[in-house]
Amino acid sequence: MTETLAALAAGFGVALAPVNLLWGFVGVTLGTAIGVLPGVGPALTVAMLLPLTSKLDPTGALIMFAGIYYGAMYGGSTTTILLNTPGESASIATALEGNRMAKRGRAGPALATAAIGSFVAGTIATLLLTLLAPVVVESALKFGPAEYFALMVFAFVTVAAVLGQSTVRGLAMLFLGLLLGLVGIDDQTGQMRFAFGIPELMDGIDVVVLAVGLFAVGEALYVAAYQSRMREAIERLSGSLWMSREDWRRSWPAWLRATAIGFPFGTIPAGGAEIPTFLSYATEKKLSKHPEEFGHGAIEGVAGPEAANNASSTGVLVPLLTLGIPTSATAAILLAAFQSYGLQPGPLLFQTQSSLVWGLIASMYVGNVLLLILNLPLIGVWVQVLKIPRAPLYAGILLFATLGAFSLHQSVVDLVTLYAFGLVGFLMRRFGFPVAPAVIGLILGPLAESQFRRALAISQGDPTVFVTHPISAALLALTALLVVVPWLAKVARERRATAKTGG
Amino acid sequence: MPGRPVRRPAELVLSLGVLALGVFAAVVAFRLPEAGGYARIGPNFMPKVVAGGLVLMGLWLLAEVATGGWRDAVDDDPAVRGEHAFHWPAFAWVSAGLAAQMALIRHGGFVIAAAALFGCVARGFGSTRPARDAALGLVLGLAVYLFFVRLLNVSLPAGWLAPVLGVAGL
Repeated sequence: MTETLAALAAGFGVALAPVNLLWGFVGVTLGTAIGVLPGVGPALTVAMLLPLTSKLDPTGALIMFAGIYYGAMYGGSTTTILLNTPGESASIATALEGNRMAKRGRAGPALATAAIGSFVAGTIATLLLTLLAPVVVESALKFGPAEYFALMVFAFVTVAAVLGQSTVRGLAMLFLGLLLGLVGIDDQTGQMRFAFGIPELMDGIDVVVLAVGLFAVGEALYVAAYQSRMREAIERLSGSLWMSREDWRRSWPAWLRATAIGFPFGTIPAGGAEIPTFLSYATEKKLSKHPEEFGHGAIEGVAGPEAANNASSTGVLVPLLTLGIPTSATAAILLAAFQSYGLQPGPLLFQTQSSLVWGLIASMYVGNVLLLILNLPLIGVWVQVLKIPRAPLYAGILLFATLGAFSLHQSVVDLVTLYAFGLVGFLMRRFGFPVAPAVIGLILGPLAESQFRRALAISQGDPTVFVTHPISAALLALTALLVVVPWLAKVARERRATAKTGG
Repeated sequence: MPGRPVRRPAELVLSLGVLALGVFAAVVAFRLPEAGGYARIGPNFMPKVVAGGLVLMGLWLLAEVATGGWRDAVDDDPAVRGEHAFHWPAFAWVSAGLAAQMALIRHGGFVIAAAALFGCVARGFGSTRPARDAALGLVLGLAVYLFFVRLLNVSLPAGWLAPVLGVAGL
């Protein structure tokens, strides 16, 4: 405990150094902006900026990337409240109530409860991260390759198969990501795989090209084809920003409950913030003294989901920093950012790069304060950002997206690959294939393979290591249960349905 | 015809695509050397697993097509999704913008390519002022070019604007 406090104090020394404070400020500002803008998310933004890592100091760059990550959660709520289309998927629950509040001229209190709730949840979640990380690191130090491999399989399967609309489409995308991750030189033997003698493929498929292709080019093609001819109505920011005494009384229990729901969901591989935001929404609806207001602009319905959203996004950093396991597309790209500096998140990073890790965690306390200032008094600025018309917005997104891909190797081949991934992304969006498993497969796949082979090298080729080590066995069993139980339940349900209809 | 008759062809093609990718990966994987070492498995093991996974998923998707279509599929009717019908000129303009950029970036340079990309994409999203869009793209492209080349020391092709940028001392 005292060690943690000492490490955190040293972290504040790093985070409050003027240059890192500046990077943090750039990160949270950029994060808010891209959260507000429809069509750009944190995964895309960090991916576009990855080529810059060679020019920046790792601590500053990672503080900025983290700022983009949690800043986007704040900005997203502004868009959902003022515009009826969610800026990012985790905000859908807020859209239900926040947009209704805005329509009734209560945009100010809706934005305020979202921002203050995000601050409360973000800060409590960062505190929980501070306390929990050393505990997880302690036990993770005992993990060997077999345990890590089992943990990665668990993450793969929950992200790809358990969450999302369709198990088969999720798994298909996971295998696609894993296949792309195999392209290039095998680390352990120097064997060239899936490169076909093409120099651009020998270094492997860059995560920048895949993520930017799927998120930016694919999204732009999709929105152009199916949404570009629709009109959007932005609600006016009218009335006072101040919350009434009644608003406060109804908001704060929702913030705290939502933090308690969101943070644990973030720490397990539960595929982002969608589940906890909906759970929080349902909880508030059930506990509210004004259930009749839900669906017509109930403030708890904004306060809860927005806080849950932020708490879970901070929770995602627990497995990412302590175990090196990303559980969302954005976390996978953050992992790639660490890797571009030759750093591997995990228990050892807390020992070898203590000032970097704790500086990063400390920067999140600072960042949440900055975000509260950015998103309350300066809300008017973001309303203007929201008014950027779609034509120049998407043209600008594609300009920066192609810049990110091109600046990797100054190669037109990367631009062609980018467009190819864009077409794939378009089809995925149109036919309901999830993006996250592909990105996680690409980044985590090579690590999983090397842990797998290392475990077998230690056991002299005996494959039973994965089931004789208790932690590894438990994780694999849990993974199997997660797949089999829902499937059995579904089959049973279908049987019963056909029996009833006499089929 | 029960279910969603219009949707079938696309689902069939995509399912076959996943299967074909898996078969292709398997062919490549089986040509990779064994070379085991202590682990007794070599660089060909994971490729085989992944290829097998893709083949399985392809077959699973085909099975769903054969038994009434993909489960929990995205609705084919754009109105149900809250969108309008596929607007092919928009799709084509965005693609044309990216193609123009690929064609221009080497010789024409980053800034010119950016202007072409910006103009075409904005056109695709319904803008009716091509001159203003191209000018906006030119200015934005120039700003990015200067920021990258001057401040970050990342080189970007100057192309046809090289003499102009050179005279201006940029």
